[in-house]
Amino acid sequence: MKTCDVLIIGAGSVGVPLAFYCAERGLSTIVIEKNASWGRGQNRAAIGGLRATHSDPAKIRLCQESIRIVAGLEAERGIDVEWRSGGYLFVAYDEQREKAFRDLLTIQKDAGLDIDWIGPARVSELCPGIRTDGLRGGTFSPGDGYASPLMTSTAFHRLARGAGAEFRFGETVTAIRTEGGRVASVRTDKDEYEAGTVVNAAGAFAADIGGLVDLELPVHPDCHEAGVTEPCERFLEPMLVDIRPDDESGNYYFYQTVTGQIVFCITPKPQIWGTDTDSTSSFLPLVSRRMVELYPRLRNLKVRRTWRGMYPMTPDGLPIVGYTEEYSNLMLAVGMCGQGYMLGPGLGKILSSAIVDGVGVAPQVFEELSLYRKFEGMELLK
Amino acid sequence: MNRITSHPVLDARGPRTEARFAFDGEAMTGYEGEALSSALFANGVKRFSEHRKGGAPQGIFCANGQCSQCNVLVDGVVRKACVTGLKAGMDVRTVHGVPALLTDDDPAPEARVETLKTEVLVIGGGPSGLAAAVELAERGIDVVIADDKETLGGKLVLQTHKFFGSEEDCYAGTRGYEIAALLEKKVRALPNVRVLANSPVVAIFKDRKAGLYIDYRRYMLVEFQAVIVAAGARERSILFPGNDLPGVYGAGAFQTLVNRDLVKAADKVFVIGSGNVGLIGSYHALQAGIEVAGICEILPKINGYKVHADKIVRMGVPVYLSTTVVSVEGDGKVERVTIADVDEGYRPILATARTFAVDTVLVATGLSPCDELYRQAIAFGFTAVKAGDAEEIAEASSAMFGGRIAALSLARMMGRKVEIDREWLDKREVLKSKPGDVIARDRVEPGDSWRPVFFCTEEIPCNPCTTVCPTASIKLRPRKGSLLDLPYFEGSNCKGCSACVAACPGLAVSLVRRVDADFAEVRIPFEFDASGYDLGVRLPALDQDGRFVEDAELVDKKYYKKYRTWVLTLRARTESAARIIGVRVQDEAVTRALPEPRYEYLPDDAIVCRCERVSVGDIVDFIKENEIRDVNQLKTIRVGMGACGSKTCSTLLPQVFRKAGVDPADTTSGTVRPLTLEAPMGELAGRVTTTERDDNGGRE
Repeated sequence: MKTCDVLIIGAGSVGVPLAFYCAERGLSTIVIEKNASWGRGQNRAAIGGLRATHSDPAKIRLCQESIRIVAGLEAERGIDVEWRSGGYLFVAYDEQREKAFRDLLTIQKDAGLDIDWIGPARVSELCPGIRTDGLRGGTFSPGDGYASPLMTSTAFHRLARGAGAEFRFGETVTAIRTEGGRVASVRTDKDEYEAGTVVNAAGAFAADIGGLVDLELPVHPDCHEAGVTEPCERFLEPMLVDIRPDDESGNYYFYQTVTGQIVFCITPKPQIWGTDTDSTSSFLPLVSRRMVELYPRLRNLKVRRTWRGMYPMTPDGLPIVGYTEEYSNLMLAVGMCGQGYMLGPGLGKILSSAIVDGVGVAPQVFEELSLYRKFEGMELLK
Repeated sequence: MNRITSHPVLDARGPRTEARFAFDGEAMTGYEGEALSSALFANGVKRFSEHRKGGAPQGIFCANGQCSQCNVLVDGVVRKACVTGLKAGMDVRTVHGVPALLTDDDPAPEARVETLKTEVLVIGGGPSGLAAAVELAERGIDVVIADDKETLGGKLVLQTHKFFGSEEDCYAGTRGYEIAALLEKKVRALPNVRVLANSPVVAIFKDRKAGLYIDYRRYMLVEFQAVIVAAGARERSILFPGNDLPGVYGAGAFQTLVNRDLVKAADKVFVIGSGNVGLIGSYHALQAGIEVAGICEILPKINGYKVHADKIVRMGVPVYLSTTVVSVEGDGKVERVTIADVDEGYRPILATARTFAVDTVLVATGLSPCDELYRQAIAFGFTAVKAGDAEEIAEASSAMFGGRIAALSLARMMGRKVEIDREWLDKREVLKSKPGDVIARDRVEPGDSWRPVFFCTEEIPCNPCTTVCPTASIKLRPRKGSLLDLPYFEGSNCKGCSACVAACPGLAVSLVRRVDADFAEVRIPFEFDASGYDLGVRLPALDQDGRFVEDAELVDKKYYKKYRTWVLTLRARTESAARIIGVRVQDEAVTRALPEPRYEYLPDDAIVCRCERVSVGDIVDFIKENEIRDVNQLKTIRVGMGACGSKTCSTLLPQVFRKAGVDPADTTSGTVRPLTLEAPMGELAGRVTTTERDDNGGRE
C-alpha cells in the first residue's frame, strides 16, 4: 500500500501537466499509466494545435491558460517544445460558414479572445497559394498556435519528475475500493494506493475507470486519422481549418510545424466509434484530395507517416471536469473530445489549484463542465 | 566519366540514349532512364544534399529506395535519386536544408485512386517472391507481384558471381543476374500473375488493402485475400564517427552502382565486415577495376564462406580480424579510414590504430529483414506468410525453396488442398545451412594425367563440379549425407576438360598434371580479363591463403563463355603446382597504411538516426535525463521521425541504450506505422504526376 496526496490515473495530455502542477504545489503525486511511458494514448496522436478559439467560455478560458503556459515553457523553464504563435484561421467559402463564424465572434470576443474577421486578401497573405475562387475570408486568431505534443508531454514529464511526482508505467488499475462516499484506495495489477484525491484522467478509457465505481461517464471514443509530410520551407503561418463537410468527411485542418512539416487530420463521415487505432486505406486518398483541392501546391509534398487516434467524445463536445457528487475525493478530467492536448496544461494548473484551494478558484469551469450538466447542443467549433 | 567500359563478367551495355541534364547548373550527361544517383556518380557527384542540421554533406547510403539519404531536387521537387529515372533536360540540384515547396498553384484536376483486386499479393519480386508466385499461379491462384525495382530478381540482379547450391534445384554455377532473368521470364509467362514492377508497396491497411506507388508516379490500392511478404533485407548501419560522410555506404549500394549500372563508383574502397556480402562486394570492386585497401572484421574469424574469403585474399586483399573501424574522416567526403584491433569487449585498442587513404568505405555488417509489412499484416489478422530474407537471412538458393514452401503454406491457409513436398523442406534446410566443418585435404602430387585439386575445405551447400564432370568422376563424399558434403575426385578418368574448374562458384578447383621431371601444369579459374595476357608471361601465382608460390609461366588460356570464366594454364614447379589456385591481381602497395595513423576519436559523434542526424551522444544524454525506457519517446529528439521511418536506426538503438546504461531487454520497442515510403499528396489523391506532364512538354 502506498499513500499520496494525489493519485492520477493516466499519464497523458491531461495527467502529465496535472502531475507537474500538483507536485509543484507541494502535493505528493503518483501517476498510474498502463502504457510503457507518458503520452502514449491520445497525446501521441494529437497533431499539436493549441487554440482558445472555441464557442464555449469555459473552454476558451482553459485554453487561454494552456497557451500562456506552453508559449512560456521556453522562456520560463528553458524547454523548447516548438511552440509557434501562428494563429488559427477558419476559412469560409460559402455564406453559411461565413455567417456561422461571424456570429461566433461576439461570444469569442466577449471571452477575451483576440480574433477577427479577415478578408480574402489577408487570407492569401497568411496562406499563399490557397484557392481564392469562392473564398470569402475567415476568422483569424493570431494568439493561437501550435507546438509538438511529443515535446510538450516530455517536457511536463521531466518537470513533474523534477518537482517530485512519481510515475508508474506499465501498471493497470484493476479495482477501486470506496467507503463512505469516498475513494478509499485504488488497486492496480502491481500495488494499492491511498490518496487524498484521485483523478480520472484516463482519456479514451475514462468510462472504464468510471465503471469500476459504477459511475457512468458519457465518454465514448471515436477515431480520427492524421498524417505528417516531409518538411519544406515555411509558407503557411496559421492552422488552417476548413469545416465544410462533403460526402465522406467533415472538417479537416492542417498547419506547418516549426520543423517545416505539414500535419493534418480529417473527421470521417460518418463518425467511426470505437478504440481501433489501425490505419485504413480510405484516409490518405480522402484527406489528400480535400487538401490539394483547397491548397493545390500541397500536391508535391510527400506524406511521410499516418496514424489513427481517438477523440474521447462527450454528447455536447465539451469536457467533463470536477469532483463527483458520488465520491467526494474523486475528480474527473475526462471527455476532452480530441482536445486534451490544448486543454491539458491549463486544466492541470486549474485542477491543481482546485485540489489545494477548492473549486472556488474557477467556478465557471466547474459549473459549465460538470458531469451533472444537461449535455445539450454541440460545441460549434469542435 | 566514371563508367565501367569493360568488365570481365558483365557485357557492356547495348547502345543507350544519352541524356543531358544539369546539376547545380553544371551540364552533365547520363543515360536516359538510368538511376539518377548512378548518373550523378558517373559524373563524379557524390554529395547530394546538405542536412538542415549544420549543413552536413549527405550522399547515398542504400541506393535501394529505402533510406532517403540520396534526396536531390529534381525540377524543384525533392526526390530520391536512386529511384528516379534520368530524363533529358532535368534540372537537378543539391538540397540545402529544408527546400521550398514548388509554387504550383493550378487547381488539381479531378482524380480517383484505382483499386485492383487479387487473391494473393506478393510483396517483393526477388528469388523467394518469384518462386512463390509461380507455385501459386500454377495452382490457379491469381497473383499480383509488386516490386520496387524495374528489373525483377531482387538482389540477384546485382550479383555477378556464380551461385552455390545444386544445378537441378537452384541454378548453381549460374551467375546471379542470369538467374534473375530466368526467373523473371518464367513468371511473366504465367497468365494469372500480374507484375507491377517499379512499384513499391508503401503501406498495408486494416481493410485488407495495400497502397502501391506505381512507377513512383501513381498511387493505387490492391485489395487482396492473402499476402506474402518477400521484401528481402536491408543493410544494417553501424556506429562510428563519420558514418554519414558521403562515400560511406552499403555494399549493396556499391553493387547497384557497379554491377547493375556499370558505374565506377570509387577508386579505392575499404570494406567493413567479412560476411559474404563484404567478401563478394570486395571481389566485385576488383573486377570493376576498383582497388580494395582491405576488409576488417570485428570477430576473430571470417564470417562468410571460406571459398569467398580465400578468393579475395589471393587477389591480394588483406582481411583484418578482431579489428574495428575507429573513424572515417575527410573534408565533406571520405578521404581516410582508421581501424584498430579490439579487446575482448570489442573495444578498440587505440595503440594499434592504422589509417588508410581511401575514397569509399563499404558497410557490410549484416542484413536485417524487411518484414515490417508482415508484422503489420499479422497484427491486422490477415492471412500472411513471409519468405526469403524477410523470413530469414540466407542465400538466394534457399530463398527460392523458401518461397515455394511459403506459397503452399499460404494456399493451405486459404483452404486449398495442397501438399508440401517433404523434400523441399529438407532442401531448404540444407541450402540455408551455415557453413559446416573445415576438413583438411590430402596433399595432391601431380601425376602424368590430369586430375582435379579441390580447394574447398569448408562444408557449404554446393555441387556443380559433380554435375558438370563429363565422366562423373567427381562425387560428394558422404559425411553429412547432404549437399554440404565436400567433393572428391573418385577414380582416374579425368580428361582435363576444365568444366569443374570453370563451373565452381568458389573458384576452388584446379587441374594438375606433370609435364616433365621438374615441371607440372596447373589450370586455374580466373574471373578477370585475361585477354591482354600474352602466352609466355610470368604471373604471380598464389596458394589458397594468398601466399606467393612462384612466378609461373602462362602456357595456355581459354574463355568458357557459359561460365564467363577464363581458365589459365600455368607451368610451375612440380612440387608447388598443386598448391596454386590464384594469380595476384592487386599490387601489395595498394593495401599499405599511411605511415602514421591520422584520426580523432569521437565515438559519441557517430550518427544513429541518419534522416534527422541524431548522434549517439544526443541519444545517450536524452535517455539518461528522461529515464527513457520506451523507444517511442526518442521521437521527441526526432529519432525515427525521418523519411525512412526508423528502418535504418532501429537496429542500432539497443547498443545505444546499453551505452546509456539501460538493458535493451527493459525497453519497449518503437511502433512502426505507415507509410514505409513517402508519397506525394497529389498522387495519393489519385492524380498521375508531374512526370507525365514532363513527357508532354515539361513543367513551367
